[in-house]
This record gives sequence, C-alpha cells and structure tokens, in this order.
Amino acid sequence: MSQTAIKVQNVGKNFGKVCAVQDLSFDVAANTCFGLLGPNGAGKTTMMKIIYGKCTLDNSNGSCVNVFGYNPVTDELAIKYLSGVVPQDDNLDDELNVVQNLRIYAKFYALSAKNTNERIKYLLDFLELTEKRKASIKHLSGGMKRRLIIARALLNNPKLLILDEPTTGLDPQVRHLIWDKLRQLKKQGTTILLTTHYMEEAFALCDAVLIMDRGREVIQGTPAELLERNIEKFVLELTGSHAISDIEEPVKTGIRVDRGQESTRLYSNDADRLKRLAAKLEGAHYFLRQTNLEDVFLKATGRELNEKQ
Amino acid sequence: MRNNNAYPYPPLASRLYGVWFRHMRVYTQNIFSNGLPPFLEPILFLAGIGLGLGKYITESMEGLAYIEFLGTGLLMTSAMFTATFECTFGTFIRLEFEKVYDGMLAAPVTANNLIIGEMLWAGTKGLFFSFAVLCILALFGIVSLPKSLLAPFVGFITGLMFSTLALLVTSFVKTINHFNFYFTGLISPMFFFSGVVFPISNLPGYVRPFAEVVPLTHSVRLVRAVCTHRYSPHLLFDLLYIIVFTLVIGYFAVRRLKKRLVY
Repeated sequence: MSQTAIKVQNVGKNFGKVCAVQDLSFDVAANTCFGLLGPNGAGKTTMMKIIYGKCTLDNSNGSCVNVFGYNPVTDELAIKYLSGVVPQDDNLDDELNVVQNLRIYAKFYALSAKNTNERIKYLLDFLELTEKRKASIKHLSGGMKRRLIIARALLNNPKLLILDEPTTGLDPQVRHLIWDKLRQLKKQGTTILLTTHYMEEAFALCDAVLIMDRGREVIQGTPAELLERNIEKFVLELTGSHAISDIEEPVKTGIRVDRGQESTRLYSNDADRLKRLAAKLEGAHYFLRQTNLEDVFLKATGRELNEKQ
Repeated sequence: MRNNNAYPYPPLASRLYGVWFRHMRVYTQNIFSNGLPPFLEPILFLAGIGLGLGKYITESMEGLAYIEFLGTGLLMTSAMFTATFECTFGTFIRLEFEKVYDGMLAAPVTANNLIIGEMLWAGTKGLFFSFAVLCILALFGIVSLPKSLLAPFVGFITGLMFSTLALLVTSFVKTINHFNFYFTGLISPMFFFSGVVFPISNLPGYVRPFAEVVPLTHSVRLVRAVCTHRYSPHLLFDLLYIIVFTLVIGYFAVRRLKKRLVY
C-alpha cells in the first residue's frame, strides 16, 4: 500500500499578469522520486516553492496542496521541518567553512549538540566531503558546493527532499555520485521531488515525471509509460543540410519527420525501415538509436523557444 | 493521511535564536576586523575633542562638560549607525545578492521569524557597539561605572528601534543605491539635530519639532539620564516613544518585507 506524500490539486499562481503555474495537479507517492520537467520558465521552481511555503498559491475553488497531511498555507513550519530543500542557486555562507555552514542550519532544527556533531560527521562522510570539513566555501568546486547544500538539506533527516536542478553544471562523476546518493536515500524511505533539464537524469531517478510548459501540464506518467505512449521506438538522426532533400520518400510512407535547421530526425517503430533508409543516404552523417525521454520532451514542449526561455 | 498531532518543530524562541545565531556566527567569524573598529572610533572622536575642538568649547551643555555631552551622545549614534547599516545594506545584500534568506526560509523558520530575528540581531549589535563606546568613555574617566552599565541596554533598544525603520526602508528599495537618500536625508540630519553634538533646546523654533519627532533624540535623553544618574518623569515619555515607534514601524516593516520574502 503506497501512501501519498504530496497531493497537488488545481494549483495556479500568477505574478501580476504573468502566469507561472496554471491548474496543475499531481500526486507524489511516499518513498518515490517524482520529477518536474519543463523548459526554463515553465513554472517548475514556482511549483516547488509553493510546496514548502516560499511562494503563496492563488486562491481559487478546489485548489489545494497537501504535504504529509499538512497545508503549506497554514502548516508551513511542519512541512519545512519534515523537508529538506536544495535550491537552484548556491546560497552557502561564504564567510564560514564547511562545518560551520552546517552548524548554523542545525540550530534551525534545534538539534542537540551531540546530534549535530553526529549528523554532520555522518553527512560529510555520506557526501564524501569529510576531507573538506574545514575548507572555506570559496575553495570548494561547484560539485562540492552542491554536495554540501544537499548535506545541509539532509540535516534533519527529512521525509521529503526537494531538489531544484541539483546537478546542473556538474561533471559526470559528481552527477553519478549524486544520483547514487539519491537512490540510497529513496531506499531509506525518503520521498524525492526534483526538477531537472537532463532527461537522462529524470529517466535514471524518477518513478514518475510530469512535463510542464508555460505553467501547464503537458503529460505525466512513469518514464516507461511516456515513452510507450508518446513516441515511436526508434529515431534516425541526420545531420548536415544535404540530407534533408533526400528524405521525401519516408514522408510518404508514414515515417514521422522532425526537421531542425541543421539536423533532421526520422521517427518510426520499425528499426529495419530506418536502417534501409539510412543505407540509401550515402555520405550523410546519421545515427540510429532508441528514442528516449528527451525525444518525448521535445515533442511535448515543441522545438521553438518561447518568450520566457 | 492527515496527521493531527502538531509536529514537534522548534518553538518560537528557538527559531528566533536560530536566525540570531546565524548572524552572530557570521559576524564573529571576522571578529578582529568587525570587533575592533567600534572601540577605535570613539577614541578618535574623543581625541579630536580633547586635543582640539574641546579647547574652544568652554560653556557647559545641559550641565555637562562638552566631552561628557558628546561622549554620552556617541553611545547612541554608534548603536544607530550599526543597526541602520545592518538592516539596510546588510539585509539588502542577504536578500538580493547572497540569497541567504532563500536558504533560511527552507528551514523551519517563517518570514516573520526571520525579520524579527534580524531586528533582535541589530539590537544586539546596538548593545555591543554602545558597550564599546562605554568602555572607552570609562577608560577616559568621562563616565563613571558601574551606574553607566545600563547604557548598553539603551543601546539595545535603540538598535532595535532603528532596525525597524531601516527594514521598512529596505522593503521599498529596488536598487542598493537608493539607501543614499535614507542616509543623507534622515540619518545624517539626526546625527546633528538630536542633541548629540549640541543641545536642541537652543535650536530655532522651526527646527525643534524635527528634533522632537525623530527617534534618536529620545534615545539620547535616556542614555544621558542613565550615565549622569539624573532621572526625571519626562523620561517615561521618551521610553514610551521608543516602544510605540518600535512596535508600529516594526509592524509595517514585517508586513512589507514579508512580501519580498514569500511571494
């Protein structure tokens, strides 16, 4: 039996005339990882902030947010006490060192001195920062800062971990390390809500994802469901402009064509057909692969940039 | 799924302490560069008076030698300046540049807790800065201990009072340069027209109301009474002014600044 950790119903948020979130609904089951995906300016961060009370939601009938039985409007403190938040921007105190940064946050949770020390020791070890415990923040790499912020979010052993683009700008090693840690946390019973622009990250971590665009839901489901329902199984990617003129034939035969400026993608469930097609395109650069979440994302949110991106 | 038991998140005092502790920790991290100037500045002032200006001012002011008059006034201006800097530039930088509050508000702290913690910290700095001035005054034998030891507490309520006004101003400020108007328009005039440098009793009639309306005047009266041990019923009015000012301006400061923290 899976419990619901977060329930969001018909939530909307306007900043003046700008609509950030519109009529959004989703459930996050306890002990799972839920991903909010969408282009920049889609409203992902705003939605997350509504959940921990940093943003207010617009009053309208039937809209409600519930986090472990608490309402962010009235029970802000309870939700914050149960949650850890990793914001998009690094906001460590530069004047303090690694351990001191954690200590000031331990005070917010009123941890006892003994608990604080044990917890900090454990978390520095968990995020592989023990060697840096006395280092000044200025001397940390981007990946170390990110890990320290995750450690800070984990101080109070949260039931819910909220991460806003936790691995943006990090190298593959750190990214994989963070993924491993998040998987471990999930195993230990933490519910995870994250936003990301990396579809492979969403695919690697999330049990369910919601793709949103301009504040609205586009599609949601498990990554496997989204792939199955929304996109052909294979894609042939062609680069180089000369390739474009050679592909009149597949259009007629029902292969879906997605033309970019310098690249063209041909989608089909039949890999053999794409292979035969590719064989005809002498000299063109091509790459045949299985479709992934990024293909779904681009199909769902469009290839063009909107005014918020 | 509803859990009706209140979750044991930390109580109010503990949350305010958390905010206060964060500021204290960051401030004391550079204790030498942060802690020394409050002691040096009054030395400079008093040396200037004692070695130079004081020779020309022989008349007593409100029954005090000029060095006593100015010295006791400095107890309050130091509290005013530190609380004002802390809650204008300091708060604005934490809010807009360092994004410190974004992190703090993700911990179990409400925007109200955060703003009031900010005020308490500014009050503490007021206490510390007027304590520093008091040390120098005592060292030069300008005030006598232990009766003047109450002065830092007047520094605390002065710091608190000025933090509310500074935070209210900050809630309006869109770019950091706007603070110049506040400093030139209100803080500097207060330094001169609140009975710190000279008594307000002989000011022209059209300046007197300004002196009575601004907060620093009332702090200065209180602290002089404390240092000279000359109490009068009049002081209850000054104390009342400080309390009402702090509560009213503090209320609006919290209300307005909150909208910039939780939106």
